[in-house]
Amino acid sequence: MKKISIYFVSLLLASLTACESKLDIKPLQNLDTEVALSSSANIQNLLNGGYERAGRSGLFGGYLQVASELYGSTNEIAWNGTWTAFGEIFNKAILVNNTYVEGIWLNAYYTINIANLVIDHIDVVDEDERNRVLGEAKFLRALSYFELVRNFGSQYGAGGGNSQLGVPLILAGVLDYSGDLTAGRNSVSEVYAQVLLDLNDAYTLLPSDNGIYASKFAAQALLARVYLQQGDYAAALASANDVIENSDAQLTSTYAAAFNNNTNSTEDLFAFQVSSQAGSNSLITLYADQDNGGRGGDIHIQAGFINLFDSETDVRSSFLYTSANYANRRLTAKYTNQFANVTVLRLAEMYLIRAESNLRLGSQTGGTPLADINAIRGRANASLKSSVTIDDVILERRLELAFEGFLIHDYKRTGRAVGNVPANSESLVFPIPQREMDVNPLLEQNPGYGS
Amino acid sequence: MKRKLLFILMWIGIFYTGNAFSQEKTVSGKVSATDGTTLPGVSVLLPGTTIGTTTDSNGNFSLKVPESATRLVFQYLGYVRKEATITGNFLEVSLENDEENRLDEVLVVGYGTQIRRKSTDNIARITASDMADVPSPSFQSLLSGKAAGVQVMQTNGKVESGMTIRVRGVSSISAGSDPLYVLDGMPLINQNESNYTAPTNPLLTLSPSEIESIDILKDAAATAIYGSRGANGVIIITTKSGKEGRNVLNANVSQGFSSPTRLREWLNADEYIELFTEAAINRYGLEDGTDIAEETFDWLAVGTDWRNREVNTDWQDLAFQNGRITDFDLSLSGGNQKTKYFFSGAYNKTDGIIRSNDLDRISSRINVSHELSSKFTAGANLSFSRTGINRVSNDNAFTTPLQSIAQAPISPAYLEDGEPNPNTLYANYLLQDKHAFYNTMIRRVTGKAFAEYRFLPNLKFNSDFGYDLFYQTEDQFVGSQAPFQSTNGESYASSVGTESYIFSNYLSFNKTFAEIHDLDVVAGMEFNDRKRRFQDATGIEFPSDDLITLRSAAEITAADGTVTQNNFLSYFARATYSLYDRYLLKASIRRDGSSRFGTDNRYGFFPAFSAGWIVSEESFLKDSQTLSFLKLKGSWGKTGNAEIGDFASLGLFTGAAYNQTPGLAPSQAANPILTWESIIQSDIGLEFGLLSDRLTGEVSYYTKKSDGLLFNQLLPYTSGLSSITKNLGIVENKGIEFALTSKNINKEGFSWNTNFNLANNKNKITELPNGDDVIDGRNILREGNPIYAFYILEYAGVNPDNGDGEYYVNSVNEDGSLNKERTANANAANRIIAGSPIPNWIGGITNTIRYKDIDFSFTFQGEWGASIYNGGGVYQSANMIYEDNQTKDQLRRWQNPGDITDVPQARLYLNNGAQHSTRYLEKADFIRLRNINLGYTLPKSFTQKIGVSNARVYASGFNLITITNYSGYDPEARSDAGASQAARGIDFYSAPAAKTYSFGINVTF
Repeated sequence: MKKISIYFVSLLLASLTACESKLDIKPLQNLDTEVALSSSANIQNLLNGGYERAGRSGLFGGYLQVASELYGSTNEIAWNGTWTAFGEIFNKAILVNNTYVEGIWLNAYYTINIANLVIDHIDVVDEDERNRVLGEAKFLRALSYFELVRNFGSQYGAGGGNSQLGVPLILAGVLDYSGDLTAGRNSVSEVYAQVLLDLNDAYTLLPSDNGIYASKFAAQALLARVYLQQGDYAAALASANDVIENSDAQLTSTYAAAFNNNTNSTEDLFAFQVSSQAGSNSLITLYADQDNGGRGGDIHIQAGFINLFDSETDVRSSFLYTSANYANRRLTAKYTNQFANVTVLRLAEMYLIRAESNLRLGSQTGGTPLADINAIRGRANASLKSSVTIDDVILERRLELAFEGFLIHDYKRTGRAVGNVPANSESLVFPIPQREMDVNPLLEQNPGYGS
Repeated sequence: MKRKLLFILMWIGIFYTGNAFSQEKTVSGKVSATDGTTLPGVSVLLPGTTIGTTTDSNGNFSLKVPESATRLVFQYLGYVRKEATITGNFLEVSLENDEENRLDEVLVVGYGTQIRRKSTDNIARITASDMADVPSPSFQSLLSGKAAGVQVMQTNGKVESGMTIRVRGVSSISAGSDPLYVLDGMPLINQNESNYTAPTNPLLTLSPSEIESIDILKDAAATAIYGSRGANGVIIITTKSGKEGRNVLNANVSQGFSSPTRLREWLNADEYIELFTEAAINRYGLEDGTDIAEETFDWLAVGTDWRNREVNTDWQDLAFQNGRITDFDLSLSGGNQKTKYFFSGAYNKTDGIIRSNDLDRISSRINVSHELSSKFTAGANLSFSRTGINRVSNDNAFTTPLQSIAQAPISPAYLEDGEPNPNTLYANYLLQDKHAFYNTMIRRVTGKAFAEYRFLPNLKFNSDFGYDLFYQTEDQFVGSQAPFQSTNGESYASSVGTESYIFSNYLSFNKTFAEIHDLDVVAGMEFNDRKRRFQDATGIEFPSDDLITLRSAAEITAADGTVTQNNFLSYFARATYSLYDRYLLKASIRRDGSSRFGTDNRYGFFPAFSAGWIVSEESFLKDSQTLSFLKLKGSWGKTGNAEIGDFASLGLFTGAAYNQTPGLAPSQAANPILTWESIIQSDIGLEFGLLSDRLTGEVSYYTKKSDGLLFNQLLPYTSGLSSITKNLGIVENKGIEFALTSKNINKEGFSWNTNFNLANNKNKITELPNGDDVIDGRNILREGNPIYAFYILEYAGVNPDNGDGEYYVNSVNEDGSLNKERTANANAANRIIAGSPIPNWIGGITNTIRYKDIDFSFTFQGEWGASIYNGGGVYQSANMIYEDNQTKDQLRRWQNPGDITDVPQARLYLNNGAQHSTRYLEKADFIRLRNINLGYTLPKSFTQKIGVSNARVYASGFNLITITNYSGYDPEARSDAGASQAARGIDFYSAPAAKTYSFGINVTF
């Protein structure tokens, strides 16, 4: 009997010691922070993760552009979706808990944090890759901050000042989450200054050709857009001209060829990559019918838009189709391929920036405004102009870049009212998301959105 | 009186009996039930030792005991345990059915059993007879209203929908709040594995017919033996086993019919056209408004003549179907002195009340034990089941049946050719129904092999090896003709296998010293390892809608595979001591280590102490018949909650591929000091029996303090992550529970028993990180309030002058009061705490009446104090803001200055009073006739002629009556759009519960 007891007890003890070591289990789907940041390959993976984040639905994957178009539209499109938060944007009556506003904030800052982590650990990256990686990280950071500052802060005044509240400038990656993570809002001018700094660095660091990733000319093209938004036409002109003259990009032969592309077109300067397996093109969700992967056409095109065209032959006026789900809905043909890349910067915009800047400055750098505008119109088979005014260029932007996310920002920078809402209305600036106000007491809410 | 005398004699016996094992004598006897039938398989034990035997098929036994032995204990499942004094060498013992006296029932506790009379724990016990004949596929729903302080809620009326069971309130915010389920010693896998957003009930795989009893361990004295997994209570399920004697074949067949508990009223075509036109005119003026309305009607009517009301579709009716539930169970059991067996098979087919939602389950169980020698017993339990579920989309999808209530009544459901109309306002669910499916199949194998070896009469060793396999596959195909389908069909297939094994070894020691000291000790170790392997794939572009598996996909668009694992290594010990059988003490301790926690904080200790005093055994009360039993008890203990995911303490990066190249991104904030929540629970209680135990009951008061809550503290998004898991914050639950059992009438051929329970629980957050509010959607965590209280605007009603829907401003005035000015601008109004999703009173009452061959029972159950938020209200009852059909009450809208109403003026596409506010918040109080049974046992004289020993026909009902003021579908219907919604009290196009009538027959051969 005793022997049996000893046998049992020793068996028991043996099984215990064997088990003790089994409590160490490593995750198989995730990497520890130290490992993730310790190799050149991993830092580059992290950079790739930054593109992934910025390309999500909530930001450049579609909702950012949709918000801009809804915000800037009155009678050109109709909103028939059930998503109340988009309805609020269309009605220019945004609530502080608007989920799409929150999504833009969230995804932009997540992208910024990844870019910051890459920049903080740039020394880990192999030397021959270092400049490119650093340049891309700065490009992503600038791209995110630019969207944040122009959506959550009021319009940059070309005259200077700009001490109005922008967004918090976070320039270091967060690893220690036990510390104080609150941050107050920097001024609009500080945020723009950072965007320009990053983009100029990126321009210097990046190669002219960088595949589908941000290149020197993507940085330059974004600079042109930023300068234009700031009303710095001389700088915008220089940047746009540099892109037109020195990058390899060319306008696509037809207007339609610029859209619904699975691989970047000759015109694309920077696009978020989408395939059936990865990436998101959520413009489809709101603009397309169900046969094309959308919801039937939550946003449909009204006569108000078609009436803007002055040329019957202009293919852009008929770049439309009827929803297969709702016979009374006319939809844009820009978004019919649900796995198409989402273009962020394309060459046509550079021509429009160059034309506008030259007009405003009375110069003809790189070409006359008329030639630039006709280059755009000619491609679309629209009648050619014999002279152009600034208003013509603004209208041409509306026609050429429709539904691509330019609308509200063009209204704001040119000071034109959206319907009967003045360009400087408090209601045309996003509220700081309530969720963020709740967890970060240093944030101050924008005027017009309660306390 | 006789029993009382016997009882006293027995106690006297205890005091004057020696404890020497030197000489032996043989005691034999016969055990029968009070009705005279002999009882085979009754265990006969010499108390304080492990000397024992069981009765044979004729109820006879024979046992060698020491000369000094004076009494024997007789125990038999379903019967009251009895101690009898040895007088002479032949004993005639009769046992009472245990429904007679709850004080004498045997409770199953962790790693052992205990008699309720001597227990210092708080345990609710529900036996097979308490839950017989309830027509529902999930065993959890049988617990509803049966146990004090145990809230049972099915998320909504879909057959597979998740179950929320809360024992003594909600004690955690972010970690799991489900109790631990232990089946015959095996902790069950209870992880929701749905990939279709809506959570499913992983324990649906268990057939209620296999269950002998369910013990719900509520206080720390009982749960601390389960250490870091005991915090939310422990539900111990014991399956049926064979009894010595004749082979018994039992068959049960029933057929039920279900319908929704409640429906809502919607606008018909006339009313829809009227209200929509009015809304359009109010917004755009008479001319434009009329045009817009008519254009909209033309579009919605799809060519039908809406002007003459050609179509008046009742979309609600199309969402539901006639439910049916079929049950067929067969069991064979029996055994002899050495071997006992129980075999069973069960089939359940449930067609839900929601269109094309159904379930079928086959299950089988084999429980066998064999006594190899007087020292060595071994056996095995094994069950397998296969559960197939046809599912519909979650509540927040256009393609879920109940969202069709949003469709316009002027839209035809079907076209002339019989095809579902594809041009409805929202995607027509009927298309999805016809061209898509989602099927979940769960196979489950649960079993254990066990051995028990008695070294000494007082000392035994148990070794159990348990295994649980939850293997689930899901298959979805969305055909090219289904709504939102643009890729020539899409197929999704997933497979997940979770395996858990447990190895438990423990020693039990039981001895009575000097006749007055009773000591029970259990000590052992346990190792539990759980591994989950998941993979799935999605493919698009199919050549035909008849080719539905991934093989035919032209393109695989997504695939995933993960493996995770966790384990627990535990040591535990428990000592139970009683002096003079009236002073009771118990202590237990468990040390748990888990892979889930960082190396610095890997182990935790979970002690518990309890004490009791059976006052009625003291001389001053012993003779009282009025107060026949009185016990005071108290306990204190610590348990843990480790349900936070497998790697919650680590700082992690996850894969984030871009452009088909690998990527990484931060996914989790590190917290190396993270450990389990610790829950300190104190209990004081009183158990009593009045009038010779005709009325027995229990009153308990408890406090339960959850400290170091595992808390997903929200981070500013500017930090790059949304939350961090920390041990922060304190939640308290305090409550009182009453349980009463009354034998109102107990005569030959006529009995009437009443069970009543009522519990009050106050849930309060007492500490949050930095005292900051955490707001999440419509809910808030704020100190001093219950978990996830509703936090929304306060609706002030309609301004009679202009028809504006208004809110109270509710800003805080200088004097601290709230500014009750009204505003139509939602942004100018402030949110307030407007209610709690957690009820503070829950209760149930069950009456069981037997008259001759007729039995009748019914259970009413109720909950009070919770609120429910109809999240769909902003579309359904929003004075025609969109084209969505409206609830009929919207016809009360404001129309002319001076109108006094609560529904604002209809303004198409403008939000007038339809922001999330208290307008859509209501009390969720309800009382339900949860179940009702009426049975008739056919006369033996008749049945025995046809070779049947017992036959009973019965009718039963489930949820037949619901009394509530909630205007939505059902006060218990909660959104299944995400696992967290149910606990937040949000209803969102959620299906009401099923109301079921069922008829059946139960035959024993």
